Amino acid sequence: MRGIFSDGPRTALTAFYWAFLLYLLLPLTLMMAMSFKDASFVAFPIGNWTLDWYGKVMQDKQFLDACLYSVMIAAASMVAATTLGTWIAMLIVAEGIRGRMIIFALACLPAVVPGMISAISLRIFISTIDMPTGTAAIILGHTVHAVPFVVVMALTRLRSMPGNLVDAARDLGADNVVAFFRVTLPYLGPALLGGMIFCVLLSIDDFVRTFFLGGYRPTLPMLIFAKVQGGMSPEINAMATIVLVVTAAVGLYAEYMTRRARTR
Amino acid sequence: MVSRQTTAGQPIAYAASAPKYSTRIASVVRSPLYQHTLGAAVESRIGRVLLLTGVPLLWLVMMHLGPIYQMLKISLMSHYPVQQGVDWHYTLANYAIFFQESIYFTPLIKSFVFATAATAATLIVVYPVAYYVAKVVRPEGRSRALLLLLVPFWAGELIRTFSVIMLLANRGGLNVLLREIGWIDRPIPMLYTSFSLGFGLVYLICLYMLLPLYSAIEKIPVQYMDAAADLGAGPFTRFLRIILPLSKDGIVSGCSLVFLTCIGVFATPMLLGGPNTVLFPETISGFFHGASNKWPVGAAFALIMLVTALFTAAIFMRLVGGKKRSAF
Repeated sequence: MRGIFSDGPRTALTAFYWAFLLYLLLPLTLMMAMSFKDASFVAFPIGNWTLDWYGKVMQDKQFLDACLYSVMIAAASMVAATTLGTWIAMLIVAEGIRGRMIIFALACLPAVVPGMISAISLRIFISTIDMPTGTAAIILGHTVHAVPFVVVMALTRLRSMPGNLVDAARDLGADNVVAFFRVTLPYLGPALLGGMIFCVLLSIDDFVRTFFLGGYRPTLPMLIFAKVQGGMSPEINAMATIVLVVTAAVGLYAEYMTRRARTR
Repeated sequence: MVSRQTTAGQPIAYAASAPKYSTRIASVVRSPLYQHTLGAAVESRIGRVLLLTGVPLLWLVMMHLGPIYQMLKISLMSHYPVQQGVDWHYTLANYAIFFQESIYFTPLIKSFVFATAATAATLIVVYPVAYYVAKVVRPEGRSRALLLLLVPFWAGELIRTFSVIMLLANRGGLNVLLREIGWIDRPIPMLYTSFSLGFGLVYLICLYMLLPLYSAIEKIPVQYMDAAADLGAGPFTRFLRIILPLSKDGIVSGCSLVFLTCIGVFATPMLLGGPNTVLFPETISGFFHGASNKWPVGAAFALIMLVTALFTAAIFMRLVGGKKRSAF
């Protein structure tokens, strides 16, 4: 096969790719490096290195509480969003549905509306139904945010599913519910697992919805935001580094799972 | 309205002779609780339809449309929350406020300028990268090349914004590096300016451009380029006449996604921007927090932003004219 470009542009493109990768990684690397600085003033160059900030963060009750709170919210909204998203996807692929496109567009709406506006409209919405701001409101907001992604992921997988699998199950005496749980759901499995992890990451990353819907108990992004506005300290870097490493590990695992699902 | 055909013949006949399952599902299916509730429901057509459509439609209408509808309603009200004894009526005054004061519409214009510039910059920077991964890298290496680019995006919006501060601060990475080399004597103030905000925006959102571009470029058959080359087209012509038109879909969806995300970015301008870069989301947020509790005005402003943003994206899609993309 002949190259698309002659060697000159090819080398230039390769160089550009690595430069871009450097651009993506450099700020995060600097951020992480700063967490090891043995001084409380956030500035380069880093003279002496220390792990003290990590010790401090690990004993920081506020941080640990925020972690717990974030994980709890993420888990709750993940369960809700996965259930609803799969259900909506099943509705969209069902036989004889009219207005498929409208349902699909409606399901994707929260992904198109800018985050800020979504947050405000939810803030208004919960006040019209007399729901207080706080944990439940945040979970609701994160669920609305995540549902479109689950719908799209489930739909992609459902379309590749041979229709006769469910027919066979029904011929063997399964009713629709049983056929869903024994045939469709296992087939969706890997895609859903990827979707679920994505929901968790969306929820843990979310700032703007939590900002408008949350109460006084901060989630991780809220805590980091408050600390950054309060003044720089390598302690924030240590916090951010811990969160970054954990979420990146989870994200890599999700990527691995969905990749395996696709090739299977 | 909805029907779902059972191709399994007569399900009722099967229900009589209880099916044999070998797993825990069997006990659930045979239990009276299941047989009288879900089991009975799926035997009738109406039951199946309700089971399939009920929850999803309720959720979609309540939670996907409901908030927007309530926002629209409140934006037209003269007072909210309505207190006892206060007369309220529907009015357009909340929308009028937007056009009266420049402190309100300048941020919107700024938001649009920033979002447009960031979208254009992202497109220019990301296109070569997407092209490289999709066409220059060997197929075996593509996943890895793409995955490397995705790693930074598992850090959240806030952490990435924070890390930009580390790079651009007066004693941040870039300034210190430049001083070490000896190009500058005193740090260039980069943080809390339009530059840092733009840099941060591009840094934040390039993934949304990368993925649509990559999948569009990857689909272009290599033979097209070979054929064009055989017919005497140089690299530049090949790019302009073949690659660019065929990746239009990716450009359109990438740009729309990036633009709509940029418009709604809230935390980044607050952390990276300065006093000169107050964007519209921050203006809107002011109506919901603090002493001036003017929800109807805030709602009206949010709707103005939503409509103009979606309208801009729609016009862009129309102008560039990707082929009609349908979900199926």
